[in-house]
Amino acid sequence: MEFQFEPASFPWLTVSIVLPLIAAGILFFLSERFAKPISIVISAIVFVISTWMLFAYDYSHYAIQFYEKYNWIPQFGVSYEVGVDALSLTMFWLTALSFLISFIWSVNIKKRVKEYFIAFLVLEAACIGVFVAWDMVWFYIFWEAMLIPMFLIIGVWGYAERIYAATKFFIYTFFGSLFLLLGVVGMYVYQYFHTGKLSTSYFDLANLGLPFNLEIIFFLLLALGFAIKVPMWPFHTWLPAAHVQAPTAGSVILAAVLLKMGTYGFVRFSLPWFPEASKYFIPVMFTLGVIAIIYTAAMALAQQHIKRIIAYSSVSHMGFVTLGTFALNVEGMNGAIITMISHGLTSAALFLAAGWIYERSHSYMLKDLGGMAKYVPVFATFFMISAMASVGLPGLSGFVGEFLALLGTFKTNVWFAVLAGIALVVGAGYTLRLYHKTMFMEELVDSKIIHKWRNTRDMTASEFLSFLPLIILMFVIGVYPKWWVDLINTTSLSILSKFIGG
Amino acid sequence: MSIIEQLVSAVGVPNFGVLIPEIIVLITAFIVFFEELFSKNRILISATTVIGLLLSLLSIFTIKQGDLTLYGLYVVDGFSLLFKLFLLISTIIIVATYRRYFESKDIYFGEFYYLTLFALLGMMIMVSSPNLFTFYVGLELSSITTYILVGMFKTKNKKLKDFDYKSKEGAFKYLIIGGAGTAVISYAIALLYGASGTFDFMEISRAALNDANIGLIAGMVLLVLGLALKAAAVPFHHWAPDAYEGAPTPITTFMAVAVKIATFALILRVMVEAFPFISKDWALVWSILAALSMTVGNFIALRQKSIKRMLAYSSIAHTGYITAALAAPTGMGFAAFIFYTLVYIFMSIGAFAVLTFLEKTEGWNNTFDDFKGLAKRSPLIAIVMLVFMFSLLGIPPTVGFFGKLGVFLALIGSDIWWLAVVLVVMSIISAGYYLRVVSVMYMYEPVKNISFNINGVEKSILILMAVIVLILGIYPTVFWGISTQMSSLLIAGIGR
Repeated sequence: MEFQFEPASFPWLTVSIVLPLIAAGILFFLSERFAKPISIVISAIVFVISTWMLFAYDYSHYAIQFYEKYNWIPQFGVSYEVGVDALSLTMFWLTALSFLISFIWSVNIKKRVKEYFIAFLVLEAACIGVFVAWDMVWFYIFWEAMLIPMFLIIGVWGYAERIYAATKFFIYTFFGSLFLLLGVVGMYVYQYFHTGKLSTSYFDLANLGLPFNLEIIFFLLLALGFAIKVPMWPFHTWLPAAHVQAPTAGSVILAAVLLKMGTYGFVRFSLPWFPEASKYFIPVMFTLGVIAIIYTAAMALAQQHIKRIIAYSSVSHMGFVTLGTFALNVEGMNGAIITMISHGLTSAALFLAAGWIYERSHSYMLKDLGGMAKYVPVFATFFMISAMASVGLPGLSGFVGEFLALLGTFKTNVWFAVLAGIALVVGAGYTLRLYHKTMFMEELVDSKIIHKWRNTRDMTASEFLSFLPLIILMFVIGVYPKWWVDLINTTSLSILSKFIGG
Repeated sequence: MSIIEQLVSAVGVPNFGVLIPEIIVLITAFIVFFEELFSKNRILISATTVIGLLLSLLSIFTIKQGDLTLYGLYVVDGFSLLFKLFLLISTIIIVATYRRYFESKDIYFGEFYYLTLFALLGMMIMVSSPNLFTFYVGLELSSITTYILVGMFKTKNKKLKDFDYKSKEGAFKYLIIGGAGTAVISYAIALLYGASGTFDFMEISRAALNDANIGLIAGMVLLVLGLALKAAAVPFHHWAPDAYEGAPTPITTFMAVAVKIATFALILRVMVEAFPFISKDWALVWSILAALSMTVGNFIALRQKSIKRMLAYSSIAHTGYITAALAAPTGMGFAAFIFYTLVYIFMSIGAFAVLTFLEKTEGWNNTFDDFKGLAKRSPLIAIVMLVFMFSLLGIPPTVGFFGKLGVFLALIGSDIWWLAVVLVVMSIISAGYYLRVVSVMYMYEPVKNISFNINGVEKSILILMAVIVLILGIYPTVFWGISTQMSSLLIAGIGR
């Protein structure tokens, strides 16, 4: 594979990574009341940078843009290397957006405010780093560094069983990432022995020309790391636990950003690096994807806990991404990437909604809820739109991605597409059940519960502000997907160049 | 010509210029000894020690040219100077924590200073020995003084009698098992001498090249086992938890840091210089010892209630990670070994120093329960402890990650996948107990209301260590440079 680079005129990406870190460092020494404004301003700046880059990115041809490279550990051929293509860029933008929203949402937080915002700022830097790094050592540093703040966020600000959930999350992901590291080190060593080159750069490792059996081994090692992060069935058990226990903003980041790292890993590394192994494993990945979609959709139908329902729906949506990715055609790939973006928006919105409900009712259980819609019309509308986008109603963002992913799957294997299509119906089932049981059914709910809603306040300004951009974007993507498809199309073609000869 | 002059012209004057650091340490030790005898001024004693160590540290930089001195019995080269430098740095930091700890525990403590200095001298001899004879002298000097240091928790405070007892118990175990180790090493030396007719590392290597007979191999294996005992590798680790837990915490730090890195430096030099041509054999022995140490150390650490004892087991596990690099007897393996040893200093001093400082508080026993809610009562200590824990676990952006990465590179570069996988699995197991420290600090409410007595010097030591761990975690380039250079120097010296 040949890569083109367009160096950045100003190190925007580095600034976006360093800015939150500096802010976190400064906050450590400042008093608590600065925490909120500083975090919001910093994340807003990062979001503005990422949005500007979204428009400045030239998608007419494939090139690594805003590219920066500096020598770092010359003994091992490690350099600091960041840049974006459309995939990285959209993920970077999604990260910046999610963090901005989480910060705005978190203005009500009361427990250990300063540490909370410091943890989130560090997390933001690490998450951005994962998506823009092109050197494997840096990629791994960001990938792992992210665990520390997330561990603390779940463990300190979570609910009753938070420590169990945080530890489970950490150990699961750490397990996967160490095997990922083993795979990358193996490739690095192979490269050294066969070409004499010492380099950890993505672009060098992409041109190794591994023999088939090694491809299989390395594919499996890397896939273990990514699959746990996605999470794919059967590695998903950490996710419901983590989501249920995490604070609202933590859940938002977990769903909108962290889960994308796994699928990002598959798209970015597994396909271009191991084309033969990827083809070889299509049946396996398809099966796992379809199991994820159907099994977790069924699980979601049986849950009582709102966050658990949304968590299982995330696993289910990630199944579509897996299908789209391993369909190995342009439609599937575009569909996978758009589903990633769309799921970032909808799951963030749904978790915000769950958090909103909990703040009013102090319960996540469906049996304690119901009949709210009449009393909180604005929230009910927003929640409805998010739920519909998540289900995949045409005109909203979820439809575009899932349709393209299914189309791609259909071209590769009809049966898997049919199975996944059936699961879409189940998906509509559990999301509608969630909405129905929380918002409607006034006549079936205990009057004491209804009584609570009478004095409930509809959305506050900060809640409204954090919801609004998500809703707008769901419409934007749903109504005019062409711009997004254009944006990522060249990238998809480049990623698939080993499969479709483009 | 007088007889003296005749003698001098016959054998030559050894080059004492390169021995200045050792000489300064020796003189300081004697000064401190007499100060302790005649004046009981503790501040004077500790100041003298620190100044002496600083002078010795500075004098290292005056040595421009290495040399084989004392009639071929003492080598001063880049490798030994590097380790002396780090030994001195870590000893200075550790000695700086002595006084307030011992005062808080009502321990008579003048002896600690000069015993530490003698132990340090022994280690400096260890790292610059080109010869089984010198190496034995250095090893014994440092071991015997450390046995005494472990057992010196003799306090006036009646409430702390238990600690006194534990300390004696630990010292006794250490003495008995360490003595057995010494015996094994003497036997190994005897075998090696019998097989090769020399004590010199280089000549042993030549003998091994010509004729690697059974005596030589047996001697080598026994030497490896004896050294593994001194480095607390499984299955010779039984002294370590008790000695580490029983010893006064600053002494534990000294053992876990200085004694350990000196032993590792010695191990590397002996292996590379004396047995380069039978590296396959010792690599196998070390890989088994490493796998055992990682497994046993990590699994037992999981079950501990005391953080001090947990760190003792974690230190055994780290012996495993470090010696795993020896399973790959290549330049990369040696570089990874040196790098991990050097960076281990900072995280280990940091973690143990936190215990030292907290333990001064009355009623503090370093159990997990004591650490509950630490983040609320002292955010600074909690955050540095967090950094050290994640570094020991090997999570970037701390330097522990690069230590493990180096070992990975070495192992996979030599195609030793099985050990790399063991390392991976054991790292995951170790997350269990390191995370527990972090979670008790951050995720529980404080149970006791204690105020800590930590002064500016102590805070700055902690911050300094944490910052070094983080900076090296982002920019390990300089340390990698040093490590690779040292490893190539060692390899270039083979068969000199």
